[in-house]
Amino acid sequence: MVNEERLHHMIKMAIFDTDQGKECKPMTQYARKDYVSLRMLGSFVSGTIGFALILVTWGIYSMNQLMENLNAMDIQELLTSVLVKYIVFMIAYMAITYFVYNRRYTKGRREVKKYYGNLKKLNQLYEREDKLKMSENKDWE
Amino acid sequence: MTTLLELKEKLIRFYGKNEIYVKPAIRFVLALFTFLMINNSIGYMKLVSKTPVAVILALVCSMLPANGLIAIAALVVLADLYALSIEVCLVGLLMFAIIYFIYFRFSPKSGINAVLTPVCFKLHIPYAVPVGSGLLSEAYSVVSVACGTVIYFFIHGVSENASALSDAAEETDSSVSKVVVALNQLIGNKEMYLVLGIFIITTLIVYVVRKLDIEHSWTVAWASGILFEAIGLTAGYILLGISDKIAGVIIGSVISGVIAMIIQFLFFNLDYSRTERLQFEDDDYYYYVKAVPKSLVTEKDKQIKRFNGKNEKERLNKKKFAEEMDIDENLLD
Repeated sequence: MVNEERLHHMIKMAIFDTDQGKECKPMTQYARKDYVSLRMLGSFVSGTIGFALILVTWGIYSMNQLMENLNAMDIQELLTSVLVKYIVFMIAYMAITYFVYNRRYTKGRREVKKYYGNLKKLNQLYEREDKLKMSENKDWE
Repeated sequence: MTTLLELKEKLIRFYGKNEIYVKPAIRFVLALFTFLMINNSIGYMKLVSKTPVAVILALVCSMLPANGLIAIAALVVLADLYALSIEVCLVGLLMFAIIYFIYFRFSPKSGINAVLTPVCFKLHIPYAVPVGSGLLSEAYSVVSVACGTVIYFFIHGVSENASALSDAAEETDSSVSKVVVALNQLIGNKEMYLVLGIFIITTLIVYVVRKLDIEHSWTVAWASGILFEAIGLTAGYILLGISDKIAGVIIGSVISGVIAMIIQFLFFNLDYSRTERLQFEDDDYYYYVKAVPKSLVTEKDKQIKRFNGKNEKERLNKKKFAEEMDIDENLLD
């Protein structure tokens, strides 16, 4: 016979597995600090590539202007302004990353906790069932 | 209203039963629209711009997750741009790469807005997208709406200036200036900045109002969003001197309002007359909960049959009861 109580927990767990399971898995393996810093490392790389691409786009766009003013241009000043923009961009980008993944970790951990709660209850249900079976067997003997 | 609610119930039940077919069907329709739109605007590469190819690609997309559609659509756009000229293709590639590296790493799930926005632009109802995403998704979906807007204006700009950008114009234009013309569709496009700004603010307004603890928050949210869009875009177009688009804005806003109503009806329909306030506690907290019931109705096709229709009028009295029980009537006094 189908054990409805057990089914209830199992459905909940299955929904979690298919919906958020993959995303939440790293949250069970890492501490908050490690999880967020790992994501920030990834963001650093992708943010740098993104900024470089924006820079390339801007460079091509203002190529003519750059060529015309090449001699009169203060290269050092240009580099400094690019560097400042890069730093500002990265700080903003990293702050967003920190905020987003910190929140996701909080939410994800809550879900994982619920999942483990269900798992525990499920385990208890199985144990109880096993005990019942054992006692029935003894009666049989 | 009851009939509508029954229809909603039926829809939900139908979706629940046939989800396995309905989802791919929706994806197929969206993908087909996307590819036909791309072919219609910038179908320069003959090989991928035929309707049968679009149908095959849409079929493939219907079996892939939503992000598969985004990737294939991006590839088709790049192929078309390549056929037009390699410089424009480079600009397109740069645009997609920037969007991917900066945004899509974060939230791959809301990426579908980036496809939906250009499609809705083509159908002249782009105003529904910020409102819809504000109602249904998280606040950060605003970025994907922005990405979709940028992609649309780029594709639109390229198709408008195709003659200046094509390979045939190579002798008169240097390749650098062609890139500049292509980039100007993005960087120098004031209309794009206007629409982008309005869409971002609209999405945020709808999202914030929807989350407010006020009655009918969804209705207030979409109504204020559409009103802001209509007024903001009308004012902006007057300022930019493109007044011939104003009629389109107003008609589009009205249609978007209807779409928002449908979204609200399908995803949120609460009956405030039976609201309950509950109080309870656990080990750590006291909870004060306001529970608003979803107004779901049972279907009309439930029929009630009376098997004792004739005897209904007969009333039980002391005598009859005594007869039935086979006892003396006086015992019941």
